[in-house]
Amino acid sequence: MGLLTPWFLGGLAALGVPVFVHLLRRHVAVPRPVGSLMFFERGTQSSRKHRRLKHLLLFALRAALLLLVVLAFANPFVRRPASDSGGRVLLIVLDNSFSMRAGTRFADAKRDALALLAAKPASQRAQVITLGGTVQVLTQPEMDATQLRAALEGIQQGDGHGSFGELGRVVRSLAESTPGPADLHLFSDVQRSAAPANFADMVLPQETRLIIHAVAGTDTVTNWTVAAVDAPAELADTKDTKHSRVLAVVAGLNTPAATKSVSLVVNGKTVVTKHVDIPANGRATVEFAPLDVGFGFNRCEVRIEAGDGFPQDDSSVFAVRRSDPQRVLFVRGSGDTRSELYFGAALQAAAQASFTLQAVTAGQTGDIDPARFAFVVLADAVSLPPIFERNLRDYVTKGGSVLVALGTGAGHHAAIPLWGGQVRETHEYAHDGTGSSTIGQVDFTHPAFADAQPGRDNGGWSGTKVLYAAEVDPGGARVAARLSDGTPLLVDRSLGEGHLLVFTTGFDDLTNDLPLHPVFVAFVDRVSRYLSGADRLSGLRRVGSYLQLRAAGTAAATAAASPTGVEVVGPDGQHPLSLAESRTAQGTRLDHAGFYQVRFASGKDALIGVNPETQESDLQPMPAEMQELWAASNAAPSSNMNLTANAAATHPGTRPVSLWWYVMLLALLVAVAETVLASGYMSTQREDA
Amino acid sequence: MQRFLNPAVLGTIASLELLAKTVVDGFVAGLHRSPDFGFSQEFAEYRAYVPGDDLRHVDWNLYGRTDRTYIKRYRGETNSQLTILLDASASMEYTSGSAGRVPLPKKMDYARFIAASLFYLAVKNQRDAAGLIVFDDEVREYIRPSARQGQLARLMGGLENAEPRARTDFGKPLHHFQQLLHRRGIAVVISDFYEAPEQVIRTIEPLRFHGNEVVLFHILDPQELRPIMNGPSLLVDMETGQRIEVTPDYANSTYRAKIDAHVEGLRSKTRAAGMDYQLLLTDQPLDRALREYLTLREAAN
Repeated sequence: MGLLTPWFLGGLAALGVPVFVHLLRRHVAVPRPVGSLMFFERGTQSSRKHRRLKHLLLFALRAALLLLVVLAFANPFVRRPASDSGGRVLLIVLDNSFSMRAGTRFADAKRDALALLAAKPASQRAQVITLGGTVQVLTQPEMDATQLRAALEGIQQGDGHGSFGELGRVVRSLAESTPGPADLHLFSDVQRSAAPANFADMVLPQETRLIIHAVAGTDTVTNWTVAAVDAPAELADTKDTKHSRVLAVVAGLNTPAATKSVSLVVNGKTVVTKHVDIPANGRATVEFAPLDVGFGFNRCEVRIEAGDGFPQDDSSVFAVRRSDPQRVLFVRGSGDTRSELYFGAALQAAAQASFTLQAVTAGQTGDIDPARFAFVVLADAVSLPPIFERNLRDYVTKGGSVLVALGTGAGHHAAIPLWGGQVRETHEYAHDGTGSSTIGQVDFTHPAFADAQPGRDNGGWSGTKVLYAAEVDPGGARVAARLSDGTPLLVDRSLGEGHLLVFTTGFDDLTNDLPLHPVFVAFVDRVSRYLSGADRLSGLRRVGSYLQLRAAGTAAATAAASPTGVEVVGPDGQHPLSLAESRTAQGTRLDHAGFYQVRFASGKDALIGVNPETQESDLQPMPAEMQELWAASNAAPSSNMNLTANAAATHPGTRPVSLWWYVMLLALLVAVAETVLASGYMSTQREDA
Repeated sequence: MQRFLNPAVLGTIASLELLAKTVVDGFVAGLHRSPDFGFSQEFAEYRAYVPGDDLRHVDWNLYGRTDRTYIKRYRGETNSQLTILLDASASMEYTSGSAGRVPLPKKMDYARFIAASLFYLAVKNQRDAAGLIVFDDEVREYIRPSARQGQLARLMGGLENAEPRARTDFGKPLHHFQQLLHRRGIAVVISDFYEAPEQVIRTIEPLRFHGNEVVLFHILDPQELRPIMNGPSLLVDMETGQRIEVTPDYANSTYRAKIDAHVEGLRSKTRAAGMDYQLLLTDQPLDRALREYLTLREAAN
């Protein structure tokens, strides 16, 4: 028993007020004159006793009220043993990641969790948390078993990837917001692949005790799965053997060597079946070529006839869109004849015949509608007919994309089309004594340079020489690459739903030697895909990935302009976005495996195949030693945990339970009693007066 | 004019004479609508003429119409003598303060109003002789009954000077009453009669033997009849200064029964003794007292 804020006891001095009023101050009875006492009789004994008792009771109530209020502010507490289950919060964590679909794991885990909840003492608070693609806290700590049970029963099987690191982070943040001891019961298959790379990420707070309820058992589960699929998202020519093919990687996990049949299913129809020898715990690649699909979106699937313990991961879905080659409008400056050659050759070589180049000069663009093209390239064409420039601006605003290359012509015409700014200056490295500049900095996260593992030579960009570059003010735009002197080389700006890419040098070999390098082909390929939006419109994603629905920063403007908004239909036929969200959301999370149908704000349709993370197919449980280590990891003080310095810290094994709530409740009751008694007393006095 | 009979209104008039004039004028104005009472010569009956009757009383108009001689008879009228015995004990100073929002006069003031009004009615309107005896435990002031010029002013002055003090004692001034009231007339005793009814009657009854018409005006404050007490109260006797604490239960039950019995005792015993009794509460108009006086005067004639 103690007080958390004992200095509030100074308020006890206020007890002097009722003591003075009731005990020290003399009560002066006002005599009431009457003509004669002839007919009156003395009745003092009972009335005085009654009044004295009433006064003493009122005094006691007022003193008690003051005492209780002061006590409540002083915040009294009692110590209870930390092991007292009545004070420990019960955290029920149910794993609903994709791997829990194997066998009866999820049903078993749910049943065990419900049994634990049923056995919970009525006074113990509990909280329900799911461990799926994201860790979701479904309830606040509460004692209402009905609500907790409803939350637990409402948890459905998911397709996400569980992460114990994420669980540790969430539980740590919960412990910071509501400190106190807790028992965390984890109902999971305790996948090894769910453990984070850094063990410290999954360490739980010191006062949280981990109890693992493993539902997988100790038996190893053999599992063959389609680990990866490489298929074109866009296909223009099915006879192009270089691109019209599907490469599937099948893997065995805890499996012996076996021969399995792998099928390619297109729109529900098995097209090809191949047999493949998969080594023990190994991988094998299967190629399906050519990929013969119809025009439009095709729902494709690679399926392995595994016959294993986890049939849910035996297939991998993807979408292929077959279309005629898309046209690219290439507008060149009047004096620029080489850009078309280099860019066209690179596009032809790179883009799997998906694009055909239509080159015109700037002067010929007056009657051309840019909306008929996948994207537009302005190669040193800075002087455009006004009508075309306006059409081009509308085109970009509605979702089109434009690539502007600032060749030598830009120096003579400072204004950059659509950019809204001017060329600040031009760098002619061949004349200013430096000879040339190189590309010093490349943002490989930008789609135009996307490269997961760029080489030591900066992905091949370091070897290029830039002889001429125009300097533009990037403003709020994203600079994807810079020259070695800091001059922006590629700047990406969002305009409405579309993109404007400004390449501050030309596509010819007069301003740089980039067209002579192999990296130019890859660059044109990626830029073409990025600008045409092909990557967004079809292909393959993983569960939990984020799908951008409209350009950032344009949500409000788009909501006003297009009342229909975006439309997303999930694999289960449901609309994950509400009507309000569909008008304003910039993106959505792909939470389920299967095909998502999307209509973007720009009006383009897309079909996206979503597959669970491949780690979920690895059903190998975490080693028992590691589980024990995890459960015991929070026993010793951890350096990265911020423990609150409270009274409990000074008394290990106990925890303070604040009583202020009960004291305030008691004070309220006393206040009500005092009010009732005092009001009766005061009303009598008033009438007497 | 009736509103001027209201004691609450009369309390605002400083001059007793003016107050009495206001009351009596208002009262007389009200009488014109009432055929029951008269104060001048009134026709009584016709009687056949017999020899010896005064010919002045023959109704010649009737003789002219009927050839018969009848004599008109009138009610005989004599001057009466009004003597008011005013109790000026300390208990008469009591007032409960208000009845609702209307301030009530003290019992003494109310008694003064009645006495003044009676004097005015008697002296100015009836030409009666009027006198005043102010007493408490002894006779403190005596104004001999008279109908002379200036008598009303003397009576008013006597009323003005009658300040309550000491306690009531009907026994002590008894023989004074008998000595002073040697001529028959109307004796009005105004008091709160905080005395046993038997004692009161025993004291006042001898007045009746002289042929006086005696009337007791029992003045009480409404709160004395029906006290309102919500809590235990400390009560002080205005005459003795004695203090006792009384519970509301007692005041609301036993006291009321006792005071009712006292009033009823006074009423019955005064009636039995051939006297009149009138209970007057200080929130009642004054006309009841005036009516009582005129009734008695008529009876006395």
